[in-house]
Amino acid sequence: MSDKQRVSRRQFLNYTLTGVGGFMAAGMLAPMVRFAIDPVLKPSAAGDFQSVASVDEITNEPQRFEWIVEQVDGWYESEVQKTAWVYRTEDDEIVALSPICTHLGCTVDWASQEEYPDQFYCPCHAGRYTKDGVNVPGTPPTAPLPLFDHKVEEGMLYLGQAQDR
Amino acid sequence: MQWTRKDLSLYIKEKEYIDTLIIPLIPFNPASDSNVTKEAFQRELNQLFTHLLEKEYRGRIIVSPEYDYITGSNETEVRRINQWVESFQSQPLSHVFLFTFDPKWKKWEQELKGQLLWIPSMNERDLHSSETKSFVKEQVSQISELITAYW
Repeated sequence: MSDKQRVSRRQFLNYTLTGVGGFMAAGMLAPMVRFAIDPVLKPSAAGDFQSVASVDEITNEPQRFEWIVEQVDGWYESEVQKTAWVYRTEDDEIVALSPICTHLGCTVDWASQEEYPDQFYCPCHAGRYTKDGVNVPGTPPTAPLPLFDHKVEEGMLYLGQAQDR
Repeated sequence: MQWTRKDLSLYIKEKEYIDTLIIPLIPFNPASDSNVTKEAFQRELNQLFTHLLEKEYRGRIIVSPEYDYITGSNETEVRRINQWVESFQSQPLSHVFLFTFDPKWKKWEQELKGQLLWIPSMNERDLHSSETKSFVKEQVSQISELITAYW
């Protein structure tokens, strides 16, 4: 009649203890797993893009754009102004160059020297770069101007870190 | 370049390229209640100007530690400034500019061994307002034109 399976005391205790033990084990393991995979989940600081200009403003002629980033530098937390020379190439690619001369760090200017109307010119030691940022041999700089990482979203240009070439 | 360990160690290596020095001359008089804020403002403004100039031309200009003196003691300070200039000139720094908002230096200009760069100050105001910023930028670009004319 009553062939309903009876749960013995031993079985009941087994089930309960496995259940509770399982929860405890999970409670201990979860933070460990989270720690282990944390570096993967962390958003990379290098990927910080800042909106700089509207895409329609960018022409074939390099223009100077400025924006502000928060920077922590040892003791100081400050807002630092960054600048970039931005233009569009013939093939509609956007190019964003850092204005920091690779020689000793002065700020370069586009076409500021009458003799070289289509080059970047460094006022300190007459360093020159062609429009794509490559240093002109025979002038002091030894490397091309760094390029900013860039992306375009909803008609705005975003710039990230400057990458040496 | 700033007067810091990092910049100066680069300077030692690249001496041949850096030939210009700016010494900020900053007056102050702690005894005068009416002028302390004005002078403090001029000091901030002076730091801002030299900072902007340095940023633009850091590969050729070096900014010296600031030269402070009690307001009005210009006559007696001439000798000490010249000492500063002379010791800087033991390095190959051929252009030494003394940058100040203190008009009293104009009188002693002939006796100073550096090139006096005096510009009129402005009234005390917020240095971070956009109006002040554009004004300062404009002034800085004119001063840099003046400096580059010596190169």
